[in-house]
Amino acid sequence: MSDQDFLPAPAENTVLNREDAPRIHFDGSKNSAMETGRNRLLVTGMVVLLAFTVVGGRLITLATSSPDTDKKIARATAKPNAVGRGKIVDRRGVILAASLPIASLYANPQGILDADEAADKLAEILPDLSREELLVKLRGKGQFVWLRRNLTPQQVYDINALGVPGVAFADSERRVFPHGRVASHLLGMTDVDGKGIAGVERYFDDTLSNDGGRVQLSIDLRIQAILHQELTSVVARFNALGAAGVILDAQTGEVTAMVSLPDFNPNDVGTLHGEAGFNRVTKGVYEMGSTFKLLTAAMALDSGKVLLQDRYDARKPIRIARFRISDFYGKNRWLSVPEILIYSSNIGAAKMAMDLGGKAQKAYLTKLGLLRQSTVELPEVGTPLSPARWRDINTMTISYGHGIAVTPLQMAAAIATVVNGGYYRPPTILKKDKPKPGAEIIRQIFSEKTSGQMRNLMRLVVSRGTGKKANVPGYRIGGKTGTAEKQGNGGYRKKALISSFVAAFPIDAPRYVLLVLVDEPKGNKSTYYSATGGWVAAPTIANLVRRIAPMIGIRPVLEGDKPKTGKSKISKRRRAPVKAAFVPSSRKFVERARERSGAH
Amino acid sequence: MRQTTVLFVLLAGALSLALFSVKYQVQDLEGELVDLNRSIKVEQQAIRVLKAEWSHLNNPERLRGLAERHLGLDQVRPEQMQTFQNVSGKRGVWLGE
Repeated sequence: MSDQDFLPAPAENTVLNREDAPRIHFDGSKNSAMETGRNRLLVTGMVVLLAFTVVGGRLITLATSSPDTDKKIARATAKPNAVGRGKIVDRRGVILAASLPIASLYANPQGILDADEAADKLAEILPDLSREELLVKLRGKGQFVWLRRNLTPQQVYDINALGVPGVAFADSERRVFPHGRVASHLLGMTDVDGKGIAGVERYFDDTLSNDGGRVQLSIDLRIQAILHQELTSVVARFNALGAAGVILDAQTGEVTAMVSLPDFNPNDVGTLHGEAGFNRVTKGVYEMGSTFKLLTAAMALDSGKVLLQDRYDARKPIRIARFRISDFYGKNRWLSVPEILIYSSNIGAAKMAMDLGGKAQKAYLTKLGLLRQSTVELPEVGTPLSPARWRDINTMTISYGHGIAVTPLQMAAAIATVVNGGYYRPPTILKKDKPKPGAEIIRQIFSEKTSGQMRNLMRLVVSRGTGKKANVPGYRIGGKTGTAEKQGNGGYRKKALISSFVAAFPIDAPRYVLLVLVDEPKGNKSTYYSATGGWVAAPTIANLVRRIAPMIGIRPVLEGDKPKTGKSKISKRRRAPVKAAFVPSSRKFVERARERSGAH
Repeated sequence: MRQTTVLFVLLAGALSLALFSVKYQVQDLEGELVDLNRSIKVEQQAIRVLKAEWSHLNNPERLRGLAERHLGLDQVRPEQMQTFQNVSGKRGVWLGE
C-alpha cells in the first residue's frame, strides 16, 4: 500500500463504491415502499442486536461469577427456623428447660361430614373429652372451634390416621421442664404466653426470648437431684414445715445445687400455691443460730485479738440488760476456743465476740456480704435483717446467730470464705469459665492461717462435738450444727426450731460447702424427741457426702491410710495395701441389693 | 441463504426445547428444595423433642430407681473405692458376676 491510499478522498470513494454496487432503481411509489421496508428492517435489526447484547452480557456475568457470591441460589436452609424460647442447661449441658412444638386440635364444623362418627372416633383417642361435648362443638355454627390443646405426638399420629375431614392441627409452643420438681425454685416458671414469671426464667427472660438464647447454669443436675431427694426425705421423717439446702463450690462461689421445700412442679401451674413458690434459699432470711459461731471464731482469730488456746469462763450465764445468755449443752467450766465450738457454747461465743468488738464484727459481716442483699442472679432475693444500732447485746447475740437473719445462700458463701483460704466470692448460679489469672476481683477477708485453723476446728466439731452424726468414715467432713428458736409473738418459741448444719468437705482442701436447714422439724422416737441441728440436719449432710463424693471422684481416706496433706502428694506409704479395704464378694453384694429391692 | 435460515430455525428450536426442559428441571428442584426445607424443620422439631425426652429419661432419680430395681445396684460405699495400686496386689479379686 502506498501513502496515496491514506489521502483524504472519502467522497470520491463513496461515489465509486456506490457505482460498483448493483443498484436497482424503482420509481415512484415502489421506491418509497422499498425505503420504508429498509428502515423497518434496520430498526428491527437494532432491537434484536440490543436484546442479544443484553442476553450475552448476562451470560458472561453468570458464567464468570464465582459460586460464593451467589449463595442464595439453591441452598437448603439448614439453620433452625424460629426455635422459640432458649434452653436452660446445667453445667454439664443437660437440658433443664426447653420449649417444644406442640400441636393443638381444632375443627371447622362446616367441613365436618358426619359429626356423630367424628365425635365417636375422636372421643376414643382423647379420653378426657366426652362424646357429647365433642358433638356440641362439631355441630356448632362457626368456622373454627378449639377441640383440645397440647396433644401428645401419639395422639397427633392417631388423629391423622383417622382421616376425619374438617379437623386440623395448629402449631404452638410449650415450655417443658424435663426434670419436674428437682430444680423448681431455681428455674422458676413461664406463663401461658411463654414469658418468665419466676426464677431463672424471669431473671434471664431477655436472653431466653432471643431466638436460640441459651443459659448455662452452674448447677450439677446429679447433685441437685441428690439434694432434692435427701431434703424431701428429711422433711418427711421429721414432719417439718419445709427445708432449704444449698451446695456451693467452695473455690469458685458457683451454686452446685439449690433446693427449697415445699416446692412445685413447673410443668403444672396448679401445683404452685401458698408456700410452694417461696425460695427459702435466696428469699428466706433466717436466724442461723450456732453455725454463726464459726464466723465469730474466724473473725476473732483473724483479728489477732483471740488466740486458739485462749480460755473463757462458761460457768455462769451472762446477764445483760433484760437478757440471759446460757448454754444448751452446758459444761459449766472454763472452755478453750476449740471447746466453745465443739460444745457449741453461747456464753463462750458471746465473750469471744466482746473481745473482738462490735465494730470489727460489723465490718467483717459487711465484707462477708451478710448485711445487704445477695447479688445472685435470681429475682427472688431476700434482704438480711440486722440491728440498726449495734449495741453490746447485739454483738453478743449475733455471735451465736441470733438478732441477725440472713439467707442460707449468703451463709454458705460466708462459710466458703472461712474454709477456702479466706477469699470471698459472691455466689452465682451461672457456670463460670475458667477465670483468667488476675481477671477476677477477689477479696481476701481471712488469712490462710485463720482458714486453716477454722478447718481444723470444723473437723473437730464433726469428729468429737455436736456434729458427730455428720461423720462418714472415709470422708473427712468438717462442719457445725445450728439450732435456732423461731421468733413468735414477741419472743422466741421453744418448740419451733430452725435446725441446720453447715459443712465443708473434704475439709483439708474443701471442694464443696453444704448447708442444710430444716424448718420446724418435730423430733421423733429415733432422735429421742430431739429436733436440733445435730439430730436432724447432720445425718442429711452425711448422706449427701456419702452419695456425692464417689460421683465427683473424691477418694475416701480409710483407716490405716494417712490423711491427705497438702505437701506429700505421692508418698511411698500410699503403695502399702490398705488393711481396712476390701472388695465385697459378689454374692453378698447381690443379696443385699435384692433385699433392698424387695423392700421397695 | 436458505441453508443459513434452516440452520438458525433448527438452532432456535433446539434452544427453546433446552430452555423448556431446564425451566421444568428448575421448577422440580425448587419444589424439592421446599420439601427438603420443610422436612429439615420437621426433623429439627423432632430432635428438640427427642433431646428433651432424653433429658427426661436421664433424670438421676429415675435412673437410680431403675438401677436399684433391675440391676441390684446400691450406693457406692467408701470401702468400694480403690486405687489401681491397691487392686493390683490382690489377684483374683472377683468384682462382679
